[in-house]
Amino acid sequence: MNRRALGELALGIVLALGLAGVWKLQQKIDGQQRAMHLDRDDLALRSGNVVKGLSLEYVPLMGAIYWTRVVQYFGAKHRMHDQNLELLWPLLDITTTLDPHLLVAYRFGAIFLSDAPPRGAGQPDLAVRLLERGLKVNPDYWRFYQDLGDIYYFDKKDYAKASEAFRKGSSYPGAPIWMKVMAAKIAEEGESLETSYFLWKQVYDTATDPEIKKNADTHLKLVSAQMAMREIDRLAAEYEVRTGRHASHLSELVQAGLLKRIPLDPEGYPYVLGQDRKAELSVDSPLMEQQQLLDKKMAP
Amino acid sequence: MKNVLTVAANTFREAVRDRVLYNLVVFALLMIAAAIFVGQISIGIEQSIIVSLGLTAISVIGLFIAVFIGVGLVSKEMDKRTLYALLAKPVERWQFLLGKFFGLVLTLAVNTAAMGIGLFLALWVVKHPLEKADLYVFVAVYLILLKLALIVALALLFSCFTTQFLAILFTAMLYVAGVFATGLRTMQGVNLAPSTTAMLHGISYVLPNFENFNVMAAVAHGGGVPGSMVFYATVYAVAYGAIVLATAAMVFSRRDLK
Repeated sequence: MNRRALGELALGIVLALGLAGVWKLQQKIDGQQRAMHLDRDDLALRSGNVVKGLSLEYVPLMGAIYWTRVVQYFGAKHRMHDQNLELLWPLLDITTTLDPHLLVAYRFGAIFLSDAPPRGAGQPDLAVRLLERGLKVNPDYWRFYQDLGDIYYFDKKDYAKASEAFRKGSSYPGAPIWMKVMAAKIAEEGESLETSYFLWKQVYDTATDPEIKKNADTHLKLVSAQMAMREIDRLAAEYEVRTGRHASHLSELVQAGLLKRIPLDPEGYPYVLGQDRKAELSVDSPLMEQQQLLDKKMAP
Repeated sequence: MKNVLTVAANTFREAVRDRVLYNLVVFALLMIAAAIFVGQISIGIEQSIIVSLGLTAISVIGLFIAVFIGVGLVSKEMDKRTLYALLAKPVERWQFLLGKFFGLVLTLAVNTAAMGIGLFLALWVVKHPLEKADLYVFVAVYLILLKLALIVALALLFSCFTTQFLAILFTAMLYVAGVFATGLRTMQGVNLAPSTTAMLHGISYVLPNFENFNVMAAVAHGGGVPGSMVFYATVYAVAYGAIVLATAAMVFSRRDLK
């Protein structure tokens, strides 16, 4: 190997070591910033119209980039269990200003906003605002009414408005007939487990995003469990009438012939009777944690 | 006409020799990366981001070629002194200018057509089967080409009477102003004097309106483009381009080349 080749080899090694050094240095800086809690949550530009102007004629691409930013922001916060989602609305605002026809941003954005913490931002009012804005620009898109109905029903517990949203959506050509049925059922009964199950089933069947499908699946399992527990409570009451005493264990209902076997929840864990003699999920069931989260959400 | 075609063919050959079409590799890599990664980092926008990213890349790459090569079409020939040899032959100055214009537009046409096909293939990868509406991607590409042709004409005009740097600056400024031409007409929420409003209104019609060629949003969402719109945009590009080229020819014919 001549001197020149040796020199080049040495230079190559120095450059590679230099890059490795920069890599390490960056990791150190990252660690330091994490330790100092330097929160990078900031939006340099909060006005959708300013971003639109700066995007020249490439507004649709900017809209798609901002939507990706929303997904990444929400996903990262979710992963880090960080419930501070203060930038979610400004990001969605910019996204839908840049591309008012990006339907997916309204639909998923509304879910991100309306879901209660830790799943979402717990801001159903902003979710409604986002969907109403979407309806102004895309008045023929009936699915926004389905989403509005879901938010009024599940998150805001405003059954009159939920029924109204389903009714309005059902009047669109191409809208499924069940929306009309839901409008009537919610107007008549308010909240019921059957209605909740049906609405979550619609979300599950139409969702394309795995996270949203998983969320709907969890809710479906919880509602199924609640329906099963309601049935167990009914049988326990029947047992009491028949025998004149309270059942303290589900095996007593089996022995009495009211149940064929001890029923299992959707995750395969047996239901139990609680101290108040009402059916409950087993403490080992993964659904228990989900149920507690839901109860926390329902708490005033 | 023969002279114009000869100059145009030479301009095209020169552009190919200068490896202008190498940008196609960058475009191809961009499309492949987008097709692979977009579905993984976002939700529900595979089609719209492929189309908007592809059309943006076609437009931006074309814009750079149109401006930077467009302003050099005349000055490069002058710097290399090949212009004098050419004009010594029976070639009129306007024929030289027109030949240069068509040569670069042909380069851009080949470039945008290749990128358009690449974009269509990327779209096919993320979404098959394709729908009839997806063919509108080619309409959007065609309209981008019209826009680029207009920019080449403007770059040529400016390069006929000023330095390369200033010609780039003027073309870029006029492009940005042209993007906001419609906005000038519909400016709201500002207390403007009636005379200012009238002036802005007038300017908005004189500026090249590049929004006429922008159907990116509609195509990205799988929408269509009316045939009448394509027709009017074509007529607009031809008419505006002819005015700019005629002005450029006039300026160039009076220019002292000594």
